[in-house]
Amino acid sequence: MELLKKGGVFTIAGLENVQIRIGEIEEEEEEWEPLGPHPMPGIATLRDWDFKLLKRYKPFYAPFCDMCCLCTYGKCDLSGNKKGACGIRMDAQHGRIVLLACLVGCSAHCGHGRHLLHDLVRRFGRDTPIDFGPGVNVEAPLTRLICGIKPRTIGDYERVFDYIEEQIVQLADALHTGQEGSYLDFESKALHMGMLDSLSKEAADIIQIAAYGMPTSYEGGGPDVPLVEVGIGTIDTNKPVILVIGHNVPPAAEIGDYLTDNGLEDSVELAGICCTAIDTTRVYKKAKIASALGRQLRVIRAGIADVVVVDEQCIRADILEQCKRVHSPLIATNDKALHGLVDRTDDNPDEIVADLVNERVPGVVILDPERVGEVAVKTAMQIAKRRKALRLILSDEEFRHYVSECTQCGNCTLACPNGLPIGEANQSASTGRIEPLAALFDKCVGCGRCEQVCKKHIPIVDVITKAAYPQLREEKGRMRIGRGPVWDSEIREVGAPIVLGTIPGVIAPIGCGNYPDGTRDAWLIVKEFAERNYIVTLTGCMAIDAALWKDEEGKTVYEQHHGRFDAGGVLNIGSCVSNAHIHDAAIKIASIFARRTLRGNYEEIADYILSRVGACGVAWGAMSQKAASIATGFNRLGIPAVVGPHGTKYRRAFLGRPDIKEDWQIIDATDGSEIYFEPAPQHLLVACETVEEALPMIAKLCFRPSDTDRGRSIKLTHYIDLSLKYLNIYPPDWHLFVRTATDLPVAKKDELLKKLEDEHGWEIDWKMKRIKEGPIRGYDPSFNPTNLKRLIREKK
Amino acid sequence: MGMEIPFDVANIPGPEMGEVAPPEVIGNYISRAKRPLLVVGSEILRDDFFLETAIEIGKKGIPIAATGHSIRGFVEKGYTENVNYCNLHELTNCLRDPNWKGLDGKGNYDFVIFFGIVYYYASQMLSCIKNFAIDPLIRAVSIDRYYHPQARMSFTNISPKMEAEYKDMLNRLVSSIKRRGGQES
Ligand code: SF4
Ligand code: SF4
Ligand code: SF4
Repeated sequence: MELLKKGGVFTIAGLENVQIRIGEIEEEEEEWEPLGPHPMPGIATLRDWDFKLLKRYKPFYAPFCDMCCLCTYGKCDLSGNKKGACGIRMDAQHGRIVLLACLVGCSAHCGHGRHLLHDLVRRFGRDTPIDFGPGVNVEAPLTRLICGIKPRTIGDYERVFDYIEEQIVQLADALHTGQEGSYLDFESKALHMGMLDSLSKEAADIIQIAAYGMPTSYEGGGPDVPLVEVGIGTIDTNKPVILVIGHNVPPAAEIGDYLTDNGLEDSVELAGICCTAIDTTRVYKKAKIASALGRQLRVIRAGIADVVVVDEQCIRADILEQCKRVHSPLIATNDKALHGLVDRTDDNPDEIVADLVNERVPGVVILDPERVGEVAVKTAMQIAKRRKALRLILSDEEFRHYVSECTQCGNCTLACPNGLPIGEANQSASTGRIEPLAALFDKCVGCGRCEQVCKKHIPIVDVITKAAYPQLREEKGRMRIGRGPVWDSEIREVGAPIVLGTIPGVIAPIGCGNYPDGTRDAWLIVKEFAERNYIVTLTGCMAIDAALWKDEEGKTVYEQHHGRFDAGGVLNIGSCVSNAHIHDAAIKIASIFARRTLRGNYEEIADYILSRVGACGVAWGAMSQKAASIATGFNRLGIPAVVGPHGTKYRRAFLGRPDIKEDWQIIDATDGSEIYFEPAPQHLLVACETVEEALPMIAKLCFRPSDTDRGRSIKLTHYIDLSLKYLNIYPPDWHLFVRTATDLPVAKKDELLKKLEDEHGWEIDWKMKRIKEGPIRGYDPSFNPTNLKRLIREKK
Repeated sequence: MGMEIPFDVANIPGPEMGEVAPPEVIGNYISRAKRPLLVVGSEILRDDFFLETAIEIGKKGIPIAATGHSIRGFVEKGYTENVNYCNLHELTNCLRDPNWKGLDGKGNYDFVIFFGIVYYYASQMLSCIKNFAIDPLIRAVSIDRYYHPQARMSFTNISPKMEAEYKDMLNRLVSSIKRRGGQES
């Protein structure tokens, strides 16, 4: 990126609208770090980096639809990689759709962040300091890295959002018919969007941590944090219950404040679904988490909410209809999701309450968070008694009637995203065996598609909920509240073991609940890796779902493991916006441990992370467009991700090919020599069919070229062990990761040397127990891997 | 014949939709293929019969790519001779490349048979093959109890009630595969 100096301001070439005041830059420069080459990168600034990634991890497209219908030339049939009337090919069109998904996802995070900023500036002032205490000196790694700004107050984020919004518009422009035509350039733009997404998330979380005093920003508030209750069974339905759903915490925070100010904490339940739930636990100690996104419909249908408060994202579009069904008044609090309700923001709160309690209106819009607090609490308290008298779960008789009505026509199964055998389960229930129906509860993603196609009008979701009701009442888990940033002091401790490989990896289960086979997989992934001394950092719905299951001792993974960023830790980083802190942890390893400059230096840091930080995202139930932009943001920063089988519907993966030698060339920055290396990591985005397959894959994606022999042998141990445990085979490619005999797991050294000799034709010196010939490359402890020529220290 | 409903009802890709074919027709195509590959997924583990069916097909000289965690079943049965574990994404990525050397180093395949793979994952990979493995053409078929519009040829939807009929179809398919070099033919 070129910085042009015009008058008193810097203007970024090609991006004349973004200006950096020179005085500020100079002043900041003296204070913290020299400015790197790419502050506030534009669309094409980091294209070289993207193309390096795309050469090794080629975009793979699996069209979800063979047609395009975006303009009036269409519909165009693109099957067989044909071109549409505008000239775009199937592959580029799919790059375009991926960019569109990332655009929507990034806009959600950025829009949410901007909205938060408005609310928080109004409530707390733009000078609210960003000071996370002595544990967190590098408070905003992505902001520093991408924008070159070190934010001191929440008001400083106005500039950051200006930048992101400008970029989003430019990228949206590229989607128009007759713009970009190359799939590689669409992907480079998607990667740019992913990076902006990560920045938006960091911005949103930092300003809310600063303004609300979430853990990290108060004394004694971290790094480990207390536990909170999770699960439908933890909610005391004898009390008035307020249910908050969405992602934007101010209305829920105000509800918590109102309860506290009025001494009502013990008489009213405040529970949440999805990320608002997680963020509410960061601001209100008595908050509970009802469920992750996947159970939204069922929690509402269970009728436990005396009032439902929605803010933004991942709210059911038919929320009003569902709330009406169970007489739960709805309060919409965000202008992005108004659900056709009347805006009553400026009305007298008591009048609004009276209208809701008497069901004169099914819901209202209140756009002022403070007013939401008062109205929600008063409404819940006044309506609760009457609502508790309602019976909303099916009676035994109704249940028997419905299941015996079923003709096993199979329509519901064809409509069900998981193809669940509902008819068969109904039949079994009609003969008195309800277990198969109850077993569907966890595998169901709660979409409601089945009910719409049932010619017998069976309320299938309610029938399944009824069958599972006893187990549901017992669904009581515990998880840590969202802890926010990883501390600098923690990074100092683990930076070396992660880069050397002796902590075998950082596993980041994130995102939504569109699982192929229920929530237990989320728990299993966390358990396996935590027990193997990986660091497990969770955010969002997967953090919630993992808390629903317990081990033989009756403990959840959060209770069984510590919450520090260290070997064997299980951390709830927080909501979806908090997962920027996982990027941040990787960035901080480069800056704090390896002392690389952050400021405006994205490419170098991403290169560092790709080659050295064994981190892997796991979005096992990725569903939303946000999950697409989140994963793409991870990828640009050099962090791979594994998705569940539904993730293939995103249409694009980034897959490496170990059998193509030229794709695996890397530079030794020490002397500039180019060497072939093992596929580490092999992919940037890949789907697995089952959790059994995913576990070894996740371990595999933690290999990095920088691993020491000790680190490599630990990583290999887990890769081989997980494969033997879940696939019952040695991984077919384990030998690719062996550079020297000391890379081999100690306990199996002889056995593995023998295998290398017999199965792969390697030459072994048995006397010395050394490998003479065979590996892709030998082990060189001074190897300094990079993909960037400019980082070569001395040319050979 | 009226339009077949995809197993995941809205999964209608476009003008090019796979043909519903009886087992013998698919068997016949498999018999004539130059380099066929059987790709199996985790759902074959739900009943021994499916695993045995895959092994039967394998014994006719057709190599097996075991995706998901289906490889477990083959190992437990002690049948691993021409079976390779593959991740389905990785495998499909190779299939779309005409220069891929194949599981045996002898080159890419011209005919792939999908069996026992989670429906929507299979559908997406079939879509990749249909749209991008076009020169030379790879034909992909499905022998699951689902109608797969992204496959060139597929069985129709068969409800779990009709499990016995489905098993019979698989038996018919296996017996209609006649290949030279297989153990049985
Ligand atoms: S944008 Fe292009 S491919 Fe899409 S409908 Fe229009 S002409 Fe066809
Ligand atoms: S659609 Fe209705 S009648 Fe048909 S199988 Fe499903 S529940 Fe039974
Ligand atoms: S609500 Fe559950 S059972 Fe019904 S279609 Fe959706 S996932 Fe399937």
